[in-house]
Amino acid sequence: MSSRSASAGYDRHITIFSPDGRLFQVEYAFKAISNSGLTSVGVRGKDSVVIATQKKVPDKLIDPATVTHVFGITPSIGCVVTGLEPDGRTQIMRARQEAAEFKYKYAYDITPDMLAKRMANINQVYTQKAFMRPLGVSMIIIGWDDERGPQLYKTDPAGYYAGFKATAAGAKHQEAFNFLEKKLKSDEEPNAEDSVELAIATLSSVLSANFKAQDLEVAVVTKDNPVFRILTADEIDAELTRIAEKD
Amino acid sequence: MDRYSFSLTTFAPNGKLLQIEHALAAVGNGATSVGIKAANGVVIATEKKAGSSLIDVSSLEHMVMVCESIGMVYSGMGPDFRVLVNSARKAAQKYRRIYMEDPPVRILVKELASIMQEFTQSGGVRPFGVSLLIAGVDDRGPNLYQVDPSGSYFPWKATAIGKNMVNSKTFLEKRFDNDIDLEDAVYTAILTLKEGFEGQMTEQSIDVGVITTIPTTQADGKQKPPRFQRLSPAEIKDYLSNVA
Repeated sequence: MSSRSASAGYDRHITIFSPDGRLFQVEYAFKAISNSGLTSVGVRGKDSVVIATQKKVPDKLIDPATVTHVFGITPSIGCVVTGLEPDGRTQIMRARQEAAEFKYKYAYDITPDMLAKRMANINQVYTQKAFMRPLGVSMIIIGWDDERGPQLYKTDPAGYYAGFKATAAGAKHQEAFNFLEKKLKSDEEPNAEDSVELAIATLSSVLSANFKAQDLEVAVVTKDNPVFRILTADEIDAELTRIAEKD
Repeated sequence: MDRYSFSLTTFAPNGKLLQIEHALAAVGNGATSVGIKAANGVVIATEKKAGSSLIDVSSLEHMVMVCESIGMVYSGMGPDFRVLVNSARKAAQKYRRIYMEDPPVRILVKELASIMQEFTQSGGVRPFGVSLLIAGVDDRGPNLYQVDPSGSYFPWKATAIGKNMVNSKTFLEKRFDNDIDLEDAVYTAILTLKEGFEGQMTEQSIDVGVITTIPTTQADGKQKPPRFQRLSPAEIKDYLSNVA
């Protein structure tokens, strides 16, 4: 097999291979996502899909209405970006551009899986060309597909993407994955209410927090209303109350 | 962008191109894939390990059709594979525009290998972290090729790439013979993957692709050239139950 070969030291600075076949810059990009301190989750149900993320306003003087990580991309597709905020905004701008160009070229709305694939392919380019670093964001995309129903996809700095029944990104994503795997073991797809509840419950559990409406951002797409909708503070409050009263 | 107009893959004093060696290491870290060329067709198969039960396995595309008569599978970095799938499909269609038929496998392989070689020499890019197994049927019959990150390509009778390639190839050497039937080859491919599989192998955790040399006869009596097919989970389940 190959002898122990020394790297020139650049494998940590740009996306070239390390001796054991790793891309350190990509791995460091993942660390940047965890360092952002926020966690997001997504849950796909039978007729709905929901995303939820923490809302942390770092300073009292900041206008809370302008602090958001949840963005619409097309009327029926939206996402939550976790990681470096400026990188996140770049990705959102690009995603919106890709979706608009698609509509212009093909005369129908892009579907969540195609958008996820396109964003993932763009991320892959940054892992192979030295002139641009990978972006420190993970994008959880939700949307309604006319043929397939509710869709949930996640992209990451490695250029990987997959469809999920439930997923998480950010600081506590591993704990969130463990929690969600346990809850969704039965293979039964939750209904709309239960998906929202599961998403919020996951965040509460891994962050050991009792949320108030202003600490959360939630967005849904449902069969009855296949548009990407960000819940208002009152709606989140109603959900939290409903969950509290259930126990 | 111009700051990187020099190659990142350069010769070490001992004459090796280290980035290519490292790319091969990335392939060696990837899930195992096997391929067997039978007398009447070709089969390729791969492990499809979902990192979590939450992943929707139907969204993963490890086994792809390049054109009707050629399919492809990989070991290594998934995102890099997607790029090569697009290049392969485009190359196949380019050939079709000129010659009005699917490219022979060796021609497509040469094109892909050439692309992969470019990324070992062009400025500011790294080699692809995948090895490909390309299966197809053309005027010469069944074909199975491997393409490496360096751009080298090898025609095989049977082979394996990825994590468990050494043991898998030994396993294949014992069971292969030149007249093997496609059905037997599928079983052998699945058995080979099973040897190195960690945990329980189910129809959701492997992908199998097959192409036979026998053209199909349509309802109207016309002959259609053989088509590369991914086996459905139900079909894989059948094979698995006969193998257990």
